[in-house]
Amino acid sequence: MARTWELERLPRRDRLAPARRERGRRRDEPLFHARPPAAWRHVDLVLLCSALAVSAIGAMMVLSSTRGTDPDSYDTSYLRKQLIFIAVGIVAMVLVTLVDYRRLRDFASVIYGATLLLLVLVISPLGSERRGSQAWFQLGSFQLQPAELAKVGVIVTLAAALARAEVPLRLRVVLGALAIVGVPTALILAQPDLGSALVFVAITMGVLLIAGARPRHIVVLTALGIVAVVGVLTSDVLEDYQRDRLTTFLDADGEDLQGEAYNSDQSKAAIASGGVSGKGYLEGTQTRLGFVPEQHTDFIFTAVGEELGFVGSSTVLGLLALICFRVLRTAQIAQDRLGTLICIGVLSMLVFQIFQNVGMTMGIMPITGIPLPFMSYGGSSVLASWLALGVVLNVHMRRFG
Amino acid sequence: MKLGHLPDVNGNGNARRREHHVPRLRLSLLTIVAVALFASLFARLYDLQVIAADDYQVRAEANRVRTVQIPAPRGRILDRNGKVIVDNRVAVVVAIDRSIHEGLEPEEQEDVVNRLAMELTGAGFPTSPDDIRARLEDDRFNRYAPVPIAVDVPEELKIYFEEHTAEYPSVVVERKAVRSYPYGSLAAHIVGYVGKINEAELEAVADEREKPYGLNDEIGKSGVEQTFERYLRGTPGIRRIEVDSQGDPVRVISETPPVPGDDLVLTIDLDVQALAEQKLRQGLEAARARPNRDGTVNNATTGSTVVIDPNNGQIIAMASYPSYDPSTFVDGIDAAEWAALNDPANHYPLNNWAIQGQWAPGSTYKLFVGHAALMAGVMEADTVFSDRGGYQIPGCSGAKCYRRNAGGAVYGNITLPRAITISSDAYFYHVGAQFWLQRDRFGGDEAMQNHLVTWGLGDRTGVALTSEAPGRVPTPAWKRDYCDRVNCNDGVWRTGDNVNMAIGQGDVLVTPLQLANGYATFANGGTRYVPQIALRTQAYQTGEVTAEFQPEVAGQVDLPPEVREPLYEGLVNVPVSGTASRAFAGFPLDRYPIAGKTGTAQVDGKSDTAVFAAFGPAPAPEYAVAVVMEESGFGGTAAAPVARALFEALSGTTPLPPAAPNAAPVGGEQPLVEAGASYD
Repeated sequence: MARTWELERLPRRDRLAPARRERGRRRDEPLFHARPPAAWRHVDLVLLCSALAVSAIGAMMVLSSTRGTDPDSYDTSYLRKQLIFIAVGIVAMVLVTLVDYRRLRDFASVIYGATLLLLVLVISPLGSERRGSQAWFQLGSFQLQPAELAKVGVIVTLAAALARAEVPLRLRVVLGALAIVGVPTALILAQPDLGSALVFVAITMGVLLIAGARPRHIVVLTALGIVAVVGVLTSDVLEDYQRDRLTTFLDADGEDLQGEAYNSDQSKAAIASGGVSGKGYLEGTQTRLGFVPEQHTDFIFTAVGEELGFVGSSTVLGLLALICFRVLRTAQIAQDRLGTLICIGVLSMLVFQIFQNVGMTMGIMPITGIPLPFMSYGGSSVLASWLALGVVLNVHMRRFG
Repeated sequence: MKLGHLPDVNGNGNARRREHHVPRLRLSLLTIVAVALFASLFARLYDLQVIAADDYQVRAEANRVRTVQIPAPRGRILDRNGKVIVDNRVAVVVAIDRSIHEGLEPEEQEDVVNRLAMELTGAGFPTSPDDIRARLEDDRFNRYAPVPIAVDVPEELKIYFEEHTAEYPSVVVERKAVRSYPYGSLAAHIVGYVGKINEAELEAVADEREKPYGLNDEIGKSGVEQTFERYLRGTPGIRRIEVDSQGDPVRVISETPPVPGDDLVLTIDLDVQALAEQKLRQGLEAARARPNRDGTVNNATTGSTVVIDPNNGQIIAMASYPSYDPSTFVDGIDAAEWAALNDPANHYPLNNWAIQGQWAPGSTYKLFVGHAALMAGVMEADTVFSDRGGYQIPGCSGAKCYRRNAGGAVYGNITLPRAITISSDAYFYHVGAQFWLQRDRFGGDEAMQNHLVTWGLGDRTGVALTSEAPGRVPTPAWKRDYCDRVNCNDGVWRTGDNVNMAIGQGDVLVTPLQLANGYATFANGGTRYVPQIALRTQAYQTGEVTAEFQPEVAGQVDLPPEVREPLYEGLVNVPVSGTASRAFAGFPLDRYPIAGKTGTAQVDGKSDTAVFAAFGPAPAPEYAVAVVMEESGFGGTAAAPVARALFEALSGTTPLPPAAPNAAPVGGEQPLVEAGASYD
């Protein structure tokens, strides 16, 4: 880690960059950044490799949890799809890094508009409903979940809106930021998808904090947030079963092991029964026999816990923490405020989703349908994770201006 | 607190950078939150996977594993010479595999059930489609094992179903070990029977871990099948099945084969047992055919013969009449058969009268009373008593106070040996009366009883069979309690009670086993054993001994030579010149002396109970025998010949015929008579 830190600070590299730039690159490439070769040399390899590693482990665990109950045969259809999703995500990441993030400011309104359009369409008859939540577009055999992509869209829009605001932020600016986040959040609550909506709350809080909102505004917003959560839980926005899912974790010793507590219990049993060293890859019985519901998507961490044990799951958690740390570093060393705020938005999203998702599998957080970034099975989630990573890498590699 | 507005951290001095302030304090705040969240995840992970792993591993294992028990055959029951009394045979079971059956179309299920019911009914197993459906829906059957529909169907039916699997897709034909009885009803009361475990029994064995019981399991219900259950029961095999979250079986994880139970080797000699049962039956039949002197008929309803080895208390034979066929219990006895076995008119064929029957022993009791008299000093061996044919109870007035000898015989001047040989009631009336009248001198209110109980009378012998009755040695305290309970008008113990007791009448009760054991105790010089029924257990196939049962001494009777000699002399002359001389006429007593005593116990409203107890060869006893026959007349006439027939074979005078395999049920053709005997 320290070595990376040193490398980034080597002034010699900075001086070398213009020299390399001179050698045979087309300077008039229209869409590309002015100095692509130099920028590419500053890619955060640690961040990239951590994300690749987590994705790879995620794909392994997708196979583990979708292979079927027969110990001697393997259904690889989910694995193959997930590998395609990861490939698509990586391609999208590369495309995102090609465009200088500072030009994103120009596209912000387009991105925001597209985000809102998708969120409106999904709750129109064009969207599909599953488990009481109208959150998907059915595209052939694939599903697109616009709320996932909306996270990245909102992060970019919010960062762009606050990048040039005067510090400390005026109330008008804060209200504007709340409006930017509020509209998509309301659309997502209409699906309803409380989990994703909460991700937006986390993003907003994180970005406003670093963007320089006044402490009293932050305190008031926090209070409002608590009131809003309580309000949602006690109102009719959620169906009963959704509310049950959210509250069962508070009653871990509940008698009703057939209901939502059953999910939580089986999830904990899967992780804990892995012990220190795990039952071995593809050897997890809770995983193979399907005792954990939605294991390949929201509960993918239970497969890690059962089959790879404390050693494996703390490694995965460590890699996720490393990703967060690198995003935080990027926020610190970003060339401008836009870059910092984008990274903070992504960081807030990642930390919240990781804590909520992993906490849910271990029974310390309520069950909400939030995927684990990079790992959970699903095209939209994987794509959103890699898009967010692309934006951060973009900021990182252009930190020298 | 002031957040933000911090100088450029990178300090590059670049003009553009200076515009961009990263608020370090606020970033630290965010960092702290993120670190705290990750730290709590790690902490919880450690809590679950390191601290609580063991608990959850058990939970996860319980999630996925279901076990099915594979029944194990019970051990066999052998006689002391290795003859197989209870064996196993293979029965064909028609069952339905529910996992296949539930996969069929509803109409097809219906069809299979209907045709199966028809086929079974046609083969003599009345079954309705509703019966089958009820069993299929009974969730007490293990979900992962086929549901048995009919057990012990003919081999032809098995072949039929195996050849028509396409028409009966969910029907499976299995094999199961069931009890078989090569000798039919022989020794039925000793071996007992097995049956399906009931709720109470299931509760009683709930703690059994090594050989756990299931709802459909069999358990010993009586006899040694019951008392030696833990040896005879096999260890069920365990098939561990992995199931998915829906409970559907995925595969078999492991299978432990069932281990048959141990064979049980009894002390019984099956040949002697067969002879004892045969002679007892013939004796009762003869008694029935022989009217009494007063013209009444002997019903000869029940009886028992016990043969014990006096040297170790081992039971060589134990016959009880009437008997039953234990094979009727194989795979469920039907209601009519069960009702017949419990009908009082049939004299309870299931009861083992050798331990459950309690009768007044009559004059066979005089051995024990004589011992008491000598020990207490009521009489000396050579005390001359003048028997004038009867005895006037001192201090008693009325018709019942003068007691006559049986048959009104007058024996003149006699001593104790002679009194036993000819069975003088007057002599023993006198003994009984003196015990009470001079109770201050002879040891108190229960002086006589205290000697009697040393023979094991009035208490269960402790034989390893259930439902043993204790018999009774009445005492003044007992009479008082008893009269309080049944509200009789006189609970006071009088001389007459002692007088009755002294000849084995009144309220005295013994079981045939107690009587045999008492004579065995006398025969061996005073060592009272717990009657032993089993010698050892041995592994099913190898015959390797797994448990060995040793003779167990229950007590010691004080029997000094000066006491034993006169009693022995009295007994050994009974077959020679006493009350059993006619029964033993022609028996080679010089070569094989027999010491015995007849008894004839009077019962109100019924003909006499015939009793005979003996041991032989008297100087070096090998066998002690007791015969008790209800409503059969004189002991010397009815019971002694049964014992004689046994001694003829036991002494080698006549060959001992080997037990005949598959004899017909003994209790089959006896007449149904009014029961209701009460000796209280």
